[in-house]
Amino acid sequence: MAEAIHKKLQSELEKYQQMQKDVSKSMSSRQKLEAQLTENNIVKEELALLDSQNTVYKLIGPVLVKQDLDEAKATVSKRLEYINGEIQRYESLLKEMERKSEQHREVLSSLQQEYQRAQGQAVGKV
Amino acid sequence: MASVHDQMAAAGKVKRSKDLPQGVERLKEEHRKVVKDCRSQIEHWKKVENDYESLQERLRTLPDKLSYDIMVPFGPLAFMPGKLVHTNELTVLLGDNWFAKCSAKQADALVEHRKKHVKNTLDDLQKVMKNFQNRADFTDDLEKLTGDTGDFVDIREEVINEEEVTKGKHRLAHKANSKPKQVYLLELEEDKEKKEGDDERTTGVLSEEELWARLDELERQEELQDERYRYTRLDSTDTNGEDTTSSSEEEKEADGGSDVQVNGHQKENGWLPTSITSQMNGTNGSHPEDEEEEDCDEEAGNGLPTIYFSHTAEFKKVRINTGKNTTLKFSERNEQKAQAKRKKKSGKSNGHSPHESYKITSPADIYRVFVDLVNGEPIPRKSILKSRSRENSMCSDTSESSTADFEERRAAFGRSWSHDDATHSDTSDGITEEESPTGTSPRTNGRFEAFTGTVIEKDPLPCSIPHLTIAPPALPTIPERKLEEVGPEAPQEPPKRMSKFKATQLHQK
Repeated sequence: MAEAIHKKLQSELEKYQQMQKDVSKSMSSRQKLEAQLTENNIVKEELALLDSQNTVYKLIGPVLVKQDLDEAKATVSKRLEYINGEIQRYESLLKEMERKSEQHREVLSSLQQEYQRAQGQAVGKV
Repeated sequence: MASVHDQMAAAGKVKRSKDLPQGVERLKEEHRKVVKDCRSQIEHWKKVENDYESLQERLRTLPDKLSYDIMVPFGPLAFMPGKLVHTNELTVLLGDNWFAKCSAKQADALVEHRKKHVKNTLDDLQKVMKNFQNRADFTDDLEKLTGDTGDFVDIREEVINEEEVTKGKHRLAHKANSKPKQVYLLELEEDKEKKEGDDERTTGVLSEEELWARLDELERQEELQDERYRYTRLDSTDTNGEDTTSSSEEEKEADGGSDVQVNGHQKENGWLPTSITSQMNGTNGSHPEDEEEEDCDEEAGNGLPTIYFSHTAEFKKVRINTGKNTTLKFSERNEQKAQAKRKKKSGKSNGHSPHESYKITSPADIYRVFVDLVNGEPIPRKSILKSRSRENSMCSDTSESSTADFEERRAAFGRSWSHDDATHSDTSDGITEEESPTGTSPRTNGRFEAFTGTVIEKDPLPCSIPHLTIAPPALPTIPERKLEEVGPEAPQEPPKRMSKFKATQLHQK
């Protein structure tokens, strides 16, 4: 009986650890998105400082491609929106994962208690 | 199975006791980590800012010449002589793989704009660092608090037998809307642990007139309370004062022997004395004595210096050893009587805050200041005391001396005194008692006692600070004093109390 519980405990523990890893992964990608967000904001502001006389280039791979200032501005704005959307998505995903991991934690704790009780009984019997 | 559980429980308990310092350590660790992180980040951003500064400098000087002769880096290891041309044309990285061609001046503006961002980040980091620094300091304080080194005292009373202390019903807090004919009940809030035993009060029904008189008293007390707030820093003293006032009033009212209760003025300030004073049962001399709280011993266990109370039937003094080596003592009966007297007399209550002894504003102060030390107790010189006039000065330097002294003096004074001023002295309860009946001098004291206890501080503090009176001569350390005083006071109490009571009654008549 104790053995079975032990096995269950192990499997649950693994699942929980997996969940935790996923959570941390989403967290890090979310942080990356945050950094990109700030950067694009700065680019937007700096583009505003320029005038059309300056040529704007975009680095695509090893090539600097000439861009129009207005086009550049539009592109940057679109990118900003995209990043915002991604962040939202990740937020909800993260919440969901948190909830699930919480549930898992509870299951784990109850299993642990059971296991300990079983252990105690085994000891008592012995 | 049960044994296993017990073991586990025991282990858990042990672990818990160890947990606290561990937890605090861990918290401090985390704080320190955050603070360190913040510091390194701030370093980094400061470097960035410096780089931008130098860049700006370069940008300003660059267009000065049409071309520069430079050593051009050629791969990672070599340089080549070359020329720097088109010095005003710059390709600036805007971020996220965007570039822009601009002049030096425009680049300068861009750099300026970026520097602003960096500054914002720096400010935020500084704020965070300060925040966490404060938190770390706070946990330090908290640790000290819970440790033995703090200034805070934990007061406990362990009740062994709950029944023996009960003399009557429990009191409930006085409600403002209660009708006069309702029974006054007092309920004491409990800050402390295990204070149940202290809560008994006797209840009784006051006659209507007495009740109305009592209401008046309570009003006056409230006013006094406000004044006292201004004059005292010690919460406990306030409470003490109030309690004793109320109790004294009760005593006054319930002349016939009915029990009175302390009103709901009780402020719970965590001082044991508060609860103790409220225990006063009016007229019955023996009663209060029995109930009086007693003997606090300081125990430095459980992290906090703890005062353990236990009931004794001996005397109504409470000495509390605070972390700062101040002793708070008071004799409730004395105070009550004093207050009763005073109230009767002038309607004023002893809102006199025990001021520094060193301030001499009237002749009485001189007497107050220069006291003899007998057995470690400051006793005012006999001759001085006799002619002690307490006009406007505060009274009670006598408050500094032990209540034992007071009792002695009281006995002496009861016979020989003709006092104008009733004292506001907190502790000089006995004295005030005697004083008030004899004198009706106009008391225009601006100061009111904040409490009716003696506070004896180890180090006399400058008089400019209004605080509890301090005996000018250096007092022995509190523990010593306590030992000294506990002994002498205990035996003194019973006989003196009776006499004082009688004296009061005589006076009243």
